[in-house]
Amino acid sequence: MSDRVHTLTPQDVLVRADALQRKLGGRFRDKIVESLYDEAERIARRAVHTRTDRHWDLDQRIDRLVTSPIFGMPLMLFILAVIFWVTIAGANYPSELLATGLFWFEARAVELFNAWGIPWWITGFLWHGVYRGLAWVVSVMLPPMAIFFPMFTILEDLGYLPRVAFNLDWLFKKAGAHGKQALTMAMGFGCNAAGVIATRTIDSPRERLIAILTNNFVPCNGRFPTLIMLATIFVAAAFPPALASLAAAGAVVAVVLLGALFTLLVSWGLSRTILKGEASAFTLELPPYRRPSVMRILYTSLIDRTLFVLWRAIIVAIPAGAVIWILANISVGGASLAQHTADFLNPLGVAIGLDGVILLAYVIAIPANEIVVPTILMMYLGTGMMIELEGFEQIRALLVDQHGWTLLTAVNLMLFSLLHNPCGTTIWTIWKETRSRKWTLVGALMPLGIGFLVTFLTATAVRAFGWI
Amino acid sequence: MENGWIWFLLAVGALLTGSLWVRLRPLARWHRWRALRERALFEDALKHLLTFEHSSRDATVESLAGSLRLSQKRLLRLIARMEAAGLLHSHGAALHLSSEGKQWALRVVRAHRLWERYLADEAGVPLGELHHAAERAEHRLTPEELDALDAHLGHPLRDPHGDPIPTATGAVTPLEALPLTDWPLDQPAQILHVEDEPEVIFKEIVAEDLRPGTRVWVLERRPEYLIISDGQVEHRLTPVVAANIHVAKAIEGPSQPAELVRLADLVEGEEAEVAALDPDCRGFSRRRLLDLGLTPGARVRVELSPAFGDPRAVRVRGSLIALRREQAAQVWVRGGSRSDGKSQHAGASQS
Repeated sequence: MSDRVHTLTPQDVLVRADALQRKLGGRFRDKIVESLYDEAERIARRAVHTRTDRHWDLDQRIDRLVTSPIFGMPLMLFILAVIFWVTIAGANYPSELLATGLFWFEARAVELFNAWGIPWWITGFLWHGVYRGLAWVVSVMLPPMAIFFPMFTILEDLGYLPRVAFNLDWLFKKAGAHGKQALTMAMGFGCNAAGVIATRTIDSPRERLIAILTNNFVPCNGRFPTLIMLATIFVAAAFPPALASLAAAGAVVAVVLLGALFTLLVSWGLSRTILKGEASAFTLELPPYRRPSVMRILYTSLIDRTLFVLWRAIIVAIPAGAVIWILANISVGGASLAQHTADFLNPLGVAIGLDGVILLAYVIAIPANEIVVPTILMMYLGTGMMIELEGFEQIRALLVDQHGWTLLTAVNLMLFSLLHNPCGTTIWTIWKETRSRKWTLVGALMPLGIGFLVTFLTATAVRAFGWI
Repeated sequence: MENGWIWFLLAVGALLTGSLWVRLRPLARWHRWRALRERALFEDALKHLLTFEHSSRDATVESLAGSLRLSQKRLLRLIARMEAAGLLHSHGAALHLSSEGKQWALRVVRAHRLWERYLADEAGVPLGELHHAAERAEHRLTPEELDALDAHLGHPLRDPHGDPIPTATGAVTPLEALPLTDWPLDQPAQILHVEDEPEVIFKEIVAEDLRPGTRVWVLERRPEYLIISDGQVEHRLTPVVAANIHVAKAIEGPSQPAELVRLADLVEGEEAEVAALDPDCRGFSRRRLLDLGLTPGARVRVELSPAFGDPRAVRVRGSLIALRREQAAQVWVRGGSRSDGKSQHAGASQS
């Protein structure tokens, strides 16, 4: 006996294991899972007593309604529109209040600095540059986020989001993508970086990559202010005041739908070209509906999401504010650096229906898209600093009357806001998630290319037909 | 501003070239590319010799030249290098693998087949596109990566075409199967293997959607064609194509297909018991279905089938799970019946 043990070499063991494994057949994994379930069932039968549950009846009725072929999709659009409308209508007043407060504080601080005899450029850099950028971001972003995220978390908590994925799956299947991509898109409304991280729930590497690369087509919270402003100024203005905020919400929903369309088209294109492959297994659990818990919603939406996203925006807004101030206040040959760059970018901007200033704003806003609008306004005014928020009427006068914005500019800016490179954080997140330079580059440049192409086409078409 | 654009583009171009040169180190890349190409040549030659050895033919310089598409001069240099490395011996015109050469060749075959298995199971790459992807990947995988892949896939025995995958020690389980042309009439058979070369014939097999795991019956055999059935569709194959399909006695799956239906074919409100997962369903998707509780004996009930009937939601073990048609088609169930009224909830909740 001992002889046999001693003559066994590791090599023999491996060969023996190989032979034994081959006898097992391919299904031993099945047997393991089956026995686990049998055991679990046996325990559950002893310990759990089920009664006919009324709760389930209700669940089923709701499920039938929200996934019904007739009502499912319209209901989803309606809920989306309501969320945007509440966000737009509700954020207006607190935004103004915050802006007033923060800018009042700035004015006092500047007075104080002047009284102390501190040189103008220190005061300008600190307060008109860094602080003002910060104040803009906080006042523009905080109220919509504080409204949007809790509402979104409620939907999540209720268990509605998986039903959305369920309803939309046939579209994603046609595009060669995964149904859970709808969930990551939903996360993208809050923040594309968060959306990219959320793609971890997609198991197939190919479909996950598609979800990562297309997440940017969902306008994130940082881009909503731009969309909302444009919708308010150019769309809502055409409607009576009572309907204005509804029209604005409708326009934002339209942009979101366009983004979803691009997501599907690009997913379809990717899964037929560089990410070829069949749709993989799609399984999704539809959890039972639960009553949302208020404390948890407040915590996850305010602490985890709102403050997290805001903090990130603040971190990038500070250097961006500084850069804007420096560009606007260093003059070479009678014009500021900002002016030179904008002039330089102008031909390209005009070709796609925008202008040099807007493009420059997008370059400066690579770290954070939130500051696009303030940067544009600042450069139009030539104040050398970001301006204060003083009502949409004034902004409209500035853009339309003084700088020749047309409906084309507004539409193309909305399009470009939807279709351009992801912000710095998202690009960084794509790199962290894929660990691949190639895919990061594709993720950054593909949407930008599409953005240029689409805006160029609309601008050319509009000009060719002589509409503008 | 006109000149400004030109200077700007020139400066950007210069910067890009400079940074790319530093970043990508083209010289080092070129060397790596050369080494990889050399390895690919060696390995392709080894594979060719192994294929000939398996069919008990003598590989020659000519057959190798035809397979590798190399000029005479370069081919002779390659053979000399491989002989010096102790990978092959030449006896006159014939070339034979040395034992090291054979080990290496088996490792390449292992890499090829494991990679195909991975692409098919985990990435959902269609059967017809596996071969080309694996032809490239087989030369890049290191032995450590191979072992990790093997473990990750659960030490699969066969590749998606049904070819046996050599083990790390180089052991190969031979295929015990008959070509479809030799299979008796009206006996249920299971496809074990489809030959992926020559490509023209393989494409025809893929087009007929005949793949390893499919159960077939030979209905009629004539000198010019065979008619086979997979239970639903009848296929008409030329003997050349049929000879590239290898079958054995059906061992798995429903013995009486009439009794079982696919979960995908149940209508809303129908309830049934899971009989088995389709043997075709492997790798990740199989693990997923099992993990969700779709094990034999579990009660399932179709609860929602929304627009276009796809995906559908199925109640299993008390939870509601959405499945696409393709997944639902991989679950065989028995005893599909409509149950109405309150009792259906109780039935579902006890499972």
